[in-house]
Amino acid sequence: MELSLNRVDYLQVGVTSQKTMRLLPAAGRKATQKVAVADHDGIITCFGMKKGEAVPVFKTLPGQKISRLELGGALGTPQEKIFVAAGSEVRGYTKKGKQFLSFEANLAESIKAMHIAGADLFVCASYIYNHYCDCKDQHYYLSGDKINDIVCLPAESLGRIVPVLACQDRVLRVLQGSELSYEVEVPGPPTVLELNNKDGGTEGEVLYGTADGKLGLVKMTESSPVHRWEISNEKKKGGVLCIDTFDIVGDGVREILVGRDDGTVEVYGLDSSSEPVLRFEHVLSESVTSIQGGCVGKESFDEVLTATYTGWVTGLTSETQREEVGPGDEVKMSRETQNKIAALRAELEQLQLKVLQEREKYQQTSQSSTAVSAVPVFSINDKFTLCQDDASYSLTLEVQTAIDHLLLQSDVPIDLLDVDKNSAVVSFSECDSEPNGNFLLATYRCQANTTRLELKVRSIEGQYGTLQAYITPRLQPKTCQVRQYQIKPLSLHQRTHSIDQNRPMNTLSLTGQFSFAEIHSWVVFCLPEVPEKTPAGESATFLFQNTFLGTQLETTYSKGEGHFKSDNISTISILKDVLSKEATKRKINLNISYDINEDSVNHTLRMIHPKLEYQLLLAKKVQLIDALKELQVHEGNADFLIPEYRSILEESTHLLEEYKKQPAHLERLYGMITDLFIDKFKFKGQNVKTKVSQLLEILDNYDLNSLMDFFNAA
Amino acid sequence: MSHAFTVQFVRAAMLVPIFTLKLNHKINPRMVTVGKFDGVHPCLAAATQAGKVFIHNPHTRAQRQAAHRLSQSAHDSDISLLNINQAVSCLVAGSLEPGQVGDALLVGSQTNLLAYDVHNNADVFYKEVADGANAIVLGKLGDIPSPLAIIGGNCALQGFDHEGNDQFWTVTGDNVRSLMLCDFTGDGKNELLVGSEDFDIRVFKEDELVCEMAENETVTSLCHMHGSRFGYALANGTVGVYDRTARYWRIKSKNHAMSIHAFDLNADGVVELITGWSNGKIDARSDRTGEVIFKDNFSSSIAGVVEGDYRMDGQVQLICTSVDGEVRGYLPASKEMKGNLMDTSVEQDLIRELSQRRQNLLLELKTSRLTEGDAQMGVIPANTQLQTALCVKAATEAQKAHIELNISTPNETIIRAVLIFAEGIFEGESHVVHPSVQNLSGCVRVPIIPPKDIPVDLHIKAFVGGRNSTQFHVFEITRQLPRFSMYDLHVDPAAPQPTGIVCFGINDRPQRVVMWLNQNFLLPEGIDAPDVKFTCLRGGGLLSISMQPSGEITLKTDDIDLAGDLIQSLASFLAIEDLQAEADFPAYFEELRVTLTEVDEFHSVHQKLTAAMADHSNHIRTMLVQAEDARLMGDMRTMKKRYMELYDLNRDLINEYKIRCNNHNALIACLKSVNQAIQRAGQLRVGKPKSQVIAACRNAIKNNNVNALFKIMRAGTASS
Repeated sequence: MELSLNRVDYLQVGVTSQKTMRLLPAAGRKATQKVAVADHDGIITCFGMKKGEAVPVFKTLPGQKISRLELGGALGTPQEKIFVAAGSEVRGYTKKGKQFLSFEANLAESIKAMHIAGADLFVCASYIYNHYCDCKDQHYYLSGDKINDIVCLPAESLGRIVPVLACQDRVLRVLQGSELSYEVEVPGPPTVLELNNKDGGTEGEVLYGTADGKLGLVKMTESSPVHRWEISNEKKKGGVLCIDTFDIVGDGVREILVGRDDGTVEVYGLDSSSEPVLRFEHVLSESVTSIQGGCVGKESFDEVLTATYTGWVTGLTSETQREEVGPGDEVKMSRETQNKIAALRAELEQLQLKVLQEREKYQQTSQSSTAVSAVPVFSINDKFTLCQDDASYSLTLEVQTAIDHLLLQSDVPIDLLDVDKNSAVVSFSECDSEPNGNFLLATYRCQANTTRLELKVRSIEGQYGTLQAYITPRLQPKTCQVRQYQIKPLSLHQRTHSIDQNRPMNTLSLTGQFSFAEIHSWVVFCLPEVPEKTPAGESATFLFQNTFLGTQLETTYSKGEGHFKSDNISTISILKDVLSKEATKRKINLNISYDINEDSVNHTLRMIHPKLEYQLLLAKKVQLIDALKELQVHEGNADFLIPEYRSILEESTHLLEEYKKQPAHLERLYGMITDLFIDKFKFKGQNVKTKVSQLLEILDNYDLNSLMDFFNAA
Repeated sequence: MSHAFTVQFVRAAMLVPIFTLKLNHKINPRMVTVGKFDGVHPCLAAATQAGKVFIHNPHTRAQRQAAHRLSQSAHDSDISLLNINQAVSCLVAGSLEPGQVGDALLVGSQTNLLAYDVHNNADVFYKEVADGANAIVLGKLGDIPSPLAIIGGNCALQGFDHEGNDQFWTVTGDNVRSLMLCDFTGDGKNELLVGSEDFDIRVFKEDELVCEMAENETVTSLCHMHGSRFGYALANGTVGVYDRTARYWRIKSKNHAMSIHAFDLNADGVVELITGWSNGKIDARSDRTGEVIFKDNFSSSIAGVVEGDYRMDGQVQLICTSVDGEVRGYLPASKEMKGNLMDTSVEQDLIRELSQRRQNLLLELKTSRLTEGDAQMGVIPANTQLQTALCVKAATEAQKAHIELNISTPNETIIRAVLIFAEGIFEGESHVVHPSVQNLSGCVRVPIIPPKDIPVDLHIKAFVGGRNSTQFHVFEITRQLPRFSMYDLHVDPAAPQPTGIVCFGINDRPQRVVMWLNQNFLLPEGIDAPDVKFTCLRGGGLLSISMQPSGEITLKTDDIDLAGDLIQSLASFLAIEDLQAEADFPAYFEELRVTLTEVDEFHSVHQKLTAAMADHSNHIRTMLVQAEDARLMGDMRTMKKRYMELYDLNRDLINEYKIRCNNHNALIACLKSVNQAIQRAGQLRVGKPKSQVIAACRNAIKNNNVNALFKIMRAGTASS
């Protein structure tokens, strides 16, 4: 069954955070619902649609940035009270806009996530979870990593309210009171949680979405999770920002609505075996921060309502938009639209006037020598994440208004890769590594109306530094903002939940006069995805996996002591270099000892082997495609070729696609094998850089055994 | 239509392709054409791999036997293949012989031009062209009565009539990449537009250069729109439209424009510029504004965009082809669509745009109200103004000679980074200076080395703020770099005097020449007499310009290109239409003399090698027969021996081929420099004298009269 939905824009408010738009329950006999949306200016706008025009119900005054908006009310009554979290405060409004609650949570940080159930209020700041009942403190929990979202399973399903926290370290933490009940491992950093079928059903099911675009359903039982299904993100769509369940098709089963940070809106239906199937997809041009199904625009037409980063409230409605235009008819704008445009134009004119006055004032003050000039502050939504599939970083930048140009600067060698959906014109500038330490200077000149840019960056482990992005939007007066992103020494590592203990491991041990916080800061410096806050307790253990090679790393450290275990000798070598450098910087005397397992080198080579072999074969096949095609044209058919060649011809499009997907993969593997070779002998105190050319020769005629022999013989 | 199984017709609801074909043959980019080879049925002809051209004829299934060049494709009876046996470099179909019914197919390669009668399967003519054929165009030019096939090669343009007679020849600045015929001047006769690798679009009225438009990359395509309006595409992804010498609009994409074509897709009576891109996109843009009115996507790069009545129903379709052999035809929009081909709601977009503007204004208002803020927010004194200065810096030990752009702030604010967007002087379109944190200051010096003498607009963006700011003011300033900026007034008295000299007379006041000097050179104080000496920073050596009160101007330099550029620039400044000059460049002329003797040598080597090859192929034939005889006789030893010998011979042949190749490339390089020399001699003159010099030089070369050639180059006229 195909779903067809049409886009309608309703209204634009300020920049919005994740989960800040909700539909109020339909009141009385009226079938259309009102919408409440809150933005970074601190304004809550509540509106309904009347004859295609947004009619405000109420609008609050500007204030602190609002990070969440939820609906609540006494249990068993319509959930039509509006609660917002701004800073560390929670405010409540009636559906008419009357404020009835102002509750200061007294948190050191601002509230990131919030859940409301009857008189129970659950709020989360970065690491802290708090539960209040009737504004009185009930429970408290300190999470090991940042909390991104919270939902609570209602009391009906498990006999008590069960809070579930989505934490950055790829786990969902299920709480009981102030204690951790159990953890649920999920495939990526979870960014959003939602109860399945709005209430979690009878079984307590929770939907989650991850920062790398995965989606899943978990059933929470008393003591352990049951994973129901999981959708991977093969098409590399954006991270999930919001989820809702709503029966848009009208078949009695709720579909799953998903909004992503690349602007994708999806509707998943469930097939006969309750597995999700994609039913509808639409791409808006910017992050979808909130999503909900309901009826807003016109009675009896259900729709998917979304709010985007720049504050557009947009519906995807089942109502057909365009009336058929008969031959000879002028395409006429509807009266409503005309009115809307006229009103907008009038408002614009007034604003323009005001701005001109302000500019004049500005001109006058700029003559004086004491006046200062500030620049407009614009908000940037950025994300710098490691993609597991191709071991590269993706940088997405989103601005509330169109981007004019972007300057990328890096003080560490990195490769900037082309992204197909990017239309901006990129230009690489000549770099002077001396004396200014630039290794990458690139400008992106954006086409008109680009509010979102996506870039891909490939780093090399062991080379670390900072990537800076200077973003200039098309705003007057022209200004730019700089954002910094750390390229860490072990940049291709990713947190994982378990490692294989049977692999041959190399160990690096540190002892010395350093505090727990100090060694933690070094680990944060070296590795991505480690929480900046020093973990609670005496010691900490983190597990990592190299996304490119699949080798692993275990770090365990406490005050005065640290142990790093990896099957990859290069990982240990990088850690050794960086840690001793960091310690020297702080004038701390470190005792470094290492235990090198010779078998680990062969083990790593064996791990690389299938990847290398595949890449070599692929490269060889791709090289042959053109020649074979030419032969085919020459002879008129391919029957005379040996089956191997014929199969290359048949698979040529697939092969080319694969090859295009992994640019420079082979070079990267070569580089890592070379590093492995150098590092192996570095630990023995030998410099083998002169033998690298020999190594490359062997790689050119690759054979696992001869490579291992070379490693052992040299 | 009897072949509906290959041509799938789709009903045109919105603007969807009216037919789609998969041809199963690769198509070389830019080598696609449509011709009515039998005078009735339009066929698609395109160059494909392995030195072949395929002709797709869905209308009459060919029953002819494979013969001569033509052979039937094994898979597909609609396709016939034409063997060229050389990599095809350009292709066009059209009527070459007046009165002939069918179109001729012209196929150019790096060495030959073939005019072919597809219908009768016969060559019309086959010509060797030493300068190669990078681009081809067919049609009438100026007053030349017969239609010409004009090819553009290495610095040369050549036109052939239907008998293969060379009717037109001239030289141009660099390798030709695109050609177009249109009535540029509006005199009812066609001019030839030439896009070349030196980034220029030149307009030739027969062999006289009428005007030049400087672009900033190789001009890869040109297409006539209507009247004097034409579209162009550059190698850096720029596409745009000119009317005469004025550019109407241009856009730049990160993808490359593979093919451009003019077609009225929205049926409003005016053609749009259709562009096929390397990422498989097709778009149609309004000729006036460049606004996209239609787009579609192919799965692979576009190879060519052409038009033709492919369904033979009286309606011309736009035909787009991809490199993978996919072909789609589009009919112009029907009346009902009112030119609205895009699937977006206009009013919704308008509301979105207005709303965005409102949001921007609100944001600006919000900040103007901001009274205080800290340095991190990028607060700077309101009277901060950016100063820029340009000056010439001679070479030092640490740095090459360059022009220094000095940007500074008047107070304690710092410049975090400087971005300069300019065309044609940087590797990409921009240059960035980003000092490290310890080198931050209120002053940034940017060395600029323009590779050519062209005037450049520098669009400077400087990020100004405090040391620890995360937000900066962006100052935007545009400065112009004069055309001859790499010339320094400081002259080393010991430097050797240049031997090259050009003398010419003008009827203008010296003040006007002074004005020209001040505008086109980077002179900090300006000068007041037309008598100056410069050091050339790019190549070294001196340049002196002096003018007698009588109007006699003498240029002294060893760089003949520079002399030409100076004369052309001065002539256009003073609006001189015709200018004769006497010149002598002893060093350059000597070089040319050597090159000319080399050309002769390469020619003779070429002949020797060809003879040797013919000899070898005879050997091969006999050896193969002997080997096969031995095999039939069962004498495996002899067979093996023969085949071994054959293998050796084959290796020799390959080696010889390589030598031939090298020899050929060297020859091409020499011929190019000869063509360039003629062009340079022309550049020293303006208007009629210029075309006379070029024509006279060509004659001298044709007659192999080297001394006459130099005489002409010096005196500017044939001695007779």
